[in-house]
Amino acid sequence: MSTTPLASRSDVVVVGAGLAGLTAALQLRATGRRVTVIHKGIGGLQLSQGSVDILGYAPERVERPLEAIPGYVADKPEHPYAVIPPGAVRRGVQWLADTLGTDLLVGDADTNVNLPTAVGAVRPTALAMPSMMNGVCTADAKFVIVGPRQFKDFYPKLIAENLARTELPGGGRLEARAATIDLNGRPGEADSSALGYAGTLDSAEGRRRLVGLLRRVVEPGEIVGLPAFLGYQDFNAWRAVQDQLGQPVFEIPLPPPGVPGMRLNRALITRAKAKGIAMVAGSFVTGAETDGRRVTAVVIEAAGGKRAYAADHVVFAPGGFESGALTMDSYGTITERVFGLPLAGLDHTDLVDGWPVHGDYWGDPQPLFRTGVRVDGSMRVLDDAGEPVYENLYAAGGLLAGATRWREKSGEGIALGSAVAAVDTILSRNEGSTR
Amino acid sequence: MRTVDTDVVVIGGGATGAGIVRDAAMRGFRTVLVDRADLGQGTTGRYHGLLHSGGRYVVSDPQSATECAEENVVITRIQAGAVEKTGGLFVVGPDDDLEFSERWMQGARATGVPFEEISVAAALRREPRLNPGIKRAFAVDDASIDGWQMVWGAAKSAMDHGAQVLTYHRVMKIIREDDQVTGVLCRDEKTGEDVRIDCRFVLNAGGAWAGEIAAMADCHDVQVVPGRGIMIAMNHRLVNTVVNRCIYPADGDILVPVHTVSIIGTTDVKADDPDKLTIPHDEVQQMLDAGEVLVPGFRMARALHAWAGARPLVKDSRVGAADTRHMSRGMSILHHDERDGLKGLLTISGGKLTTYRLMAKNIVDAMCTQLGEDRPCTTDQEAVPGSKDGKNYHITHRLAEREKDRLDDQIICECELMNRRMLVDLIDQQPTASLDDLRRQLRLGMGPCQGGFCSMRSTGIALDHEKIDVDRASELLRLFLKNRWIGLWPILYGDQVRQTALDNWIFQGTLDIEHLPDSVNEVTV
Repeated sequence: MSTTPLASRSDVVVVGAGLAGLTAALQLRATGRRVTVIHKGIGGLQLSQGSVDILGYAPERVERPLEAIPGYVADKPEHPYAVIPPGAVRRGVQWLADTLGTDLLVGDADTNVNLPTAVGAVRPTALAMPSMMNGVCTADAKFVIVGPRQFKDFYPKLIAENLARTELPGGGRLEARAATIDLNGRPGEADSSALGYAGTLDSAEGRRRLVGLLRRVVEPGEIVGLPAFLGYQDFNAWRAVQDQLGQPVFEIPLPPPGVPGMRLNRALITRAKAKGIAMVAGSFVTGAETDGRRVTAVVIEAAGGKRAYAADHVVFAPGGFESGALTMDSYGTITERVFGLPLAGLDHTDLVDGWPVHGDYWGDPQPLFRTGVRVDGSMRVLDDAGEPVYENLYAAGGLLAGATRWREKSGEGIALGSAVAAVDTILSRNEGSTR
Repeated sequence: MRTVDTDVVVIGGGATGAGIVRDAAMRGFRTVLVDRADLGQGTTGRYHGLLHSGGRYVVSDPQSATECAEENVVITRIQAGAVEKTGGLFVVGPDDDLEFSERWMQGARATGVPFEEISVAAALRREPRLNPGIKRAFAVDDASIDGWQMVWGAAKSAMDHGAQVLTYHRVMKIIREDDQVTGVLCRDEKTGEDVRIDCRFVLNAGGAWAGEIAAMADCHDVQVVPGRGIMIAMNHRLVNTVVNRCIYPADGDILVPVHTVSIIGTTDVKADDPDKLTIPHDEVQQMLDAGEVLVPGFRMARALHAWAGARPLVKDSRVGAADTRHMSRGMSILHHDERDGLKGLLTISGGKLTTYRLMAKNIVDAMCTQLGEDRPCTTDQEAVPGSKDGKNYHITHRLAEREKDRLDDQIICECELMNRRMLVDLIDQQPTASLDDLRRQLRLGMGPCQGGFCSMRSTGIALDHEKIDVDRASELLRLFLKNRWIGLWPILYGDQVRQTALDNWIFQGTLDIEHLPDSVNEVTV
């Protein structure tokens, strides 16, 4: 019998506010469920490149991601894509595109586009922000990559010269040159982050200054590649820059804090709050209450003690090692922190000297990062015998075992597909009654 | 082929070689130092950063103890900027033998190593994380020293005295005419060019590689057995004082606060090849267990990076008794005139980083004797460039500097507070430097994120500087990440796993660095 004070009772508690968690929460709320999202950090979207990956490399570059999935996972039964039901990824991507609208997301789930990265690699992704789409790498495109010389996270010469020497996926090359401008992110501040610049470029005055500087370095006929900092609050700031300049403009995603991902995150969080989802931020989930068969409540550590959030269903989408949901201690023991769930993805043949990582940085994927929880097609977490650990615990997103999402460029596809599959299961079970 | 004419060639750019080139140059010899890699890239850069008080050796090696005590004072004076006067403690652990501490005190008195017994309570006040079960504590004058700053300080001093320092010059052959050394043939590793350096004397300070080098002069069977020791840098300063266990020197008995980290060391295992040193997991576990004895909860702290260094231990049956004049226990000088009938070559090996200046003095003395010249050593009389007596390193100095220039410049490495100006200035001085070369002097990439944010920035800045092309810049980035990983994967646990996941997300996920164009010219140096 639990003595933990009850904070609230919901139909569904979602743990984690990344793409998987927010997707599940919004979709369930749309059916009338009472939903509580408990999250400790800021959600993975803000660490991401701000586009939607489905499958970029298998391991060769993928042109048609949804089509490529079955072949890719045919010999990978532990990969999330081998388990997520057919159609769920497409529905998830479609839902996200519809929810965010074309100010934030364009493209389609069937076709990858190749976009420049901040080191000048040509990276496949499925859907991206409209502000990125003029950067699609096609033969004979003429790029000028421009950044402020004061901005430490963007090096136009590195990007342009690597792009220019790249044999493009479809054959041919593009032209790219570099230029710098003299622009502080904020007045008197020599070391502004991308977000500092984005704040300035949310204002018409900030954009006017930028455009004035761009005019001095941009040649007619060039497509202008800029750091992904063209506005944060104003999703159309990039378009205003493009219109004033009179030439096509595109944004190149940067290491975190990534402004495009922050825009997606803000749009989803704003919507979640508007739709009446209870967002419990900054909360460290330390455990759960169960009746042995079902999870009855999720417990957080709050000021003054523990609080329990009771629910009929729990969608567990806390991320993987990057969020601290999975940990490995100094003896090499890997643990899922909240429920102590059984872990999969790691084979003993993967161990090097007893350790789940190897010494070749540029070699095969590190086994450790394939570790996660195993699920069935309902997204219920399975034990070693293949039985659900709890009847009403569903995992989604980066916690799932078997993917190498950063290498494959599969993170958002897995997050969306697994969230949709978990939602489908919850709705099909009729236990979280509509209120 | 390029040719250089000089008096003395010093082979080896570790602490000993840098000390020797400085010593010889200050005595008025025209001197050239060559190393196959960067200064301090070998054993000197792969130790725990301890400037010994001598306390470690008062029982096991009294002569080294005395030398360390004396040299500690000299180095703290002439290389003040590289030394942080942390002080040290010798503590008797809960399960350690108290009887040893009596022998230790006798030894310290006999060898002239200053110490003061302090109460356990005082030791715990000074270092609150120390094991509260310690039974006894002694304060000594241990300090921490930045090996790279020390080496570069000596090298810059040598250059001020007219010496040349040629890094990335690999010795291919020591040229001899009959029984006299006349020169050294090198290859410039960055350009591939051959370089012949004509000289009348060669001083072999090759450390663990000294045997290989001696063999290039047909002096065979100089057996240097590499003794591998691993060290682990822990995030933050778990202690602000060097903490030694008061036991007979053993594995994992020292914890040294160096810059922003604390370093636990070390092991001692015979290795076959100093170029192929491993960091075995069982030794990592051994270090973590040893850390727990000094600081309970050590395993819960975040390990950042591990490395292995090769102690040069000489085993040479042909060493004559006559050598002892110029050597102490721990360091040995091989006189190849007596040993192999070859004039103009001396090999030095063994010794300790703390006594590098004394080792240099001893071998240059031996050279002067062989040459019949009387030129006294003056290296203890003059501070190295940029160093002022009394102005020792302090942990907060970079923070103070960044406070001053934060409105004018960007911080490129947030972990180690390195700004753009520092990086650009060093690239100006060393335009062909790799990111690891820059790292050793600037500490870029050595903090918690292990290059997660600064390596792409540094690559971009190096390319913008127009001394290298995009192919080399991209290769430097690849090489840097590869090299960082060598020291990361053996200690990957806890929060460093989380950091690595974030770094992978950045490099693989966001930047797709694996799909940069293939290199035209692979970079290995």
